[in-house]
Amino acid sequence: MTEARDHVVPRRLIEKPAGGARLRNLGQYLFLAPALVFMLLTMVYPVLSNLRMSVYDVNVATFLSNSAPFVGLDNYVKVVSDPAFQNAFRLSVYFTIGSLVFQFTIGFALALLFNRSFPGNGLLRALMLLGWMLPTVVSASIFRWMFDGGNGIINFLFESLGLLDAPRHWLIEPNTALIGTIVANIWVGIPFNMILLLPGLQSIPDSLYEAASIDGATPWQSFRRVTLPLMRPVALSVLLLGFIYTFKVFDIVYVMTRGGPVNATTVLPIYVYQLAFNFFRFGDGAAAAVLLLLPLSIVAVGYLWLSQHEESSS
Amino acid sequence: MNASRSNRRPGWGWTVLSTIIVIGYLFPVYWMAATSLKTNAAVYASPPQIVPWPPIFKAYVDAVINNPLALRSILNSAIVGTGTMLLTLVLASPAAYALARLNLRGATLFMLLLLITQLLPAIIIATPLFVLFSRIELVNSYPALILADTTFTLPFAVIVLRPFFLTVPTELEAAAKIDGCNQFSAFWRVILPLVQPGLITVAVFAFLMGWGEFLFAITLTTNETIQPATAALNKFIGQYGTQWNNLMALSTTVALPIIIVFASLQRYIVGGLTAGSVKQ
Repeated sequence: MTEARDHVVPRRLIEKPAGGARLRNLGQYLFLAPALVFMLLTMVYPVLSNLRMSVYDVNVATFLSNSAPFVGLDNYVKVVSDPAFQNAFRLSVYFTIGSLVFQFTIGFALALLFNRSFPGNGLLRALMLLGWMLPTVVSASIFRWMFDGGNGIINFLFESLGLLDAPRHWLIEPNTALIGTIVANIWVGIPFNMILLLPGLQSIPDSLYEAASIDGATPWQSFRRVTLPLMRPVALSVLLLGFIYTFKVFDIVYVMTRGGPVNATTVLPIYVYQLAFNFFRFGDGAAAAVLLLLPLSIVAVGYLWLSQHEESSS
Repeated sequence: MNASRSNRRPGWGWTVLSTIIVIGYLFPVYWMAATSLKTNAAVYASPPQIVPWPPIFKAYVDAVINNPLALRSILNSAIVGTGTMLLTLVLASPAAYALARLNLRGATLFMLLLLITQLLPAIIIATPLFVLFSRIELVNSYPALILADTTFTLPFAVIVLRPFFLTVPTELEAAAKIDGCNQFSAFWRVILPLVQPGLITVAVFAFLMGWGEFLFAITLTTNETIQPATAALNKFIGQYGTQWNNLMALSTTVALPIIIVFASLQRYIVGGLTAGSVKQ
């Protein structure tokens, strides 16, 4: 550690942009190099390899030997015209919208609650995060049990409240299975929304609320006229981020239903997984993965544009 | 009016309301633990037994202790989680430092790379990695899982750590260099100890993410002796679908390390979460 001492000491006097910076920069790049190499290997290479795979007929016979024939956009045509893909895309949209609406609304309400100062605030807020920290496989197995048709607590609850006459097999009936997975995903997502919205609320100066109350505003009015408009940029970025995280959800749904019954919960990531790992149609799977990435990219560009826009306007 | 009033006197009413909400919210976690302590008869009791009294540990004996594959999978998860944690720290700390401190051309490009990674669905990485690892015979190995998991912990770690490095005064580095440190030893001896809270946050998150990761766990392992606990739990659901007390016993066992880490290092987690997701 100390052997380089002698030749480094004089250079500390050189200001950053000045000459002699090239050698110094080389040292600086060494800090970044390991992470960069790693990302090239485990992120950039797989994504490019996925793109390449999507235009080759990679299947169980050809995938190890590297001898798959080039098929152009055939895989994409095949996937897009597959009714199962269209179904998966539709389910993903339902799943994402259903999850986001409730996660966001409940998360916002909780953020408003925890934005107040009261004894135990910090502890209670931290406890809420547990739902988000649990491995999703664990949460999914809990909800699988709670939605069970035989002895699930949700059937018991609904029957005692008089909302159900007979027990339902929530995750086995095609028209309720998706709802079950959405409920579980909402549960996981609430703390995430809450914790991201809270700093936004905290950044609204108290003086604005005081001014509003001096002007005779009711709490509801100051929420409508002060909180909501000022929260708009934060809320929008939380929603866009939420879209990205929800549209690619795999674990919860897969563990709860395996995509069934009869494709009733085969959201897009599960469809991609099945193509590749159940049917070994790696080429088609890769094409489907690119199509899954498409809406995510569009939203991400929107998100970046938004944060850029915010920075320049503030 | 509301805001100023609540600032002046503690609102116990809000404490009560929040406590009720948090208890309601965490009911599923309680229900998992409660079910894991029941006999078969108690699981199927109607109306359901809300408090499992007396608690029976038979489900843990059957599903975990007398289940070598489950025990093995928990060990596997500990190895994968720890490996992911170490690799993440080794890669992310110097990178975050470089991005925070040094005038680097291409730094923005690298940040963009990290953001793109956060956008990617794991499945788009899983298939090519499976093909690659099959070719170099790395499927069914700890390194395969650790490498794959670190793909997603690394961007998060760099994004969390960068602001920590930004808060370290540059004078300290200058002083370290006057004292004879080069850039690497200054980083190692002076800077890193100062960002320790950030390192703990990253370590905790990387471990938790490695421990709970699922998609790579089921795609990059086919061998039961190497599968992580999440994959074992998933398989268990398929095999013992309706033995709910056993399933919940295994679920609780998989969740327990998370709950312990969470309880003991909570302040690092809460801070890291907001830093990592909001700031860029």
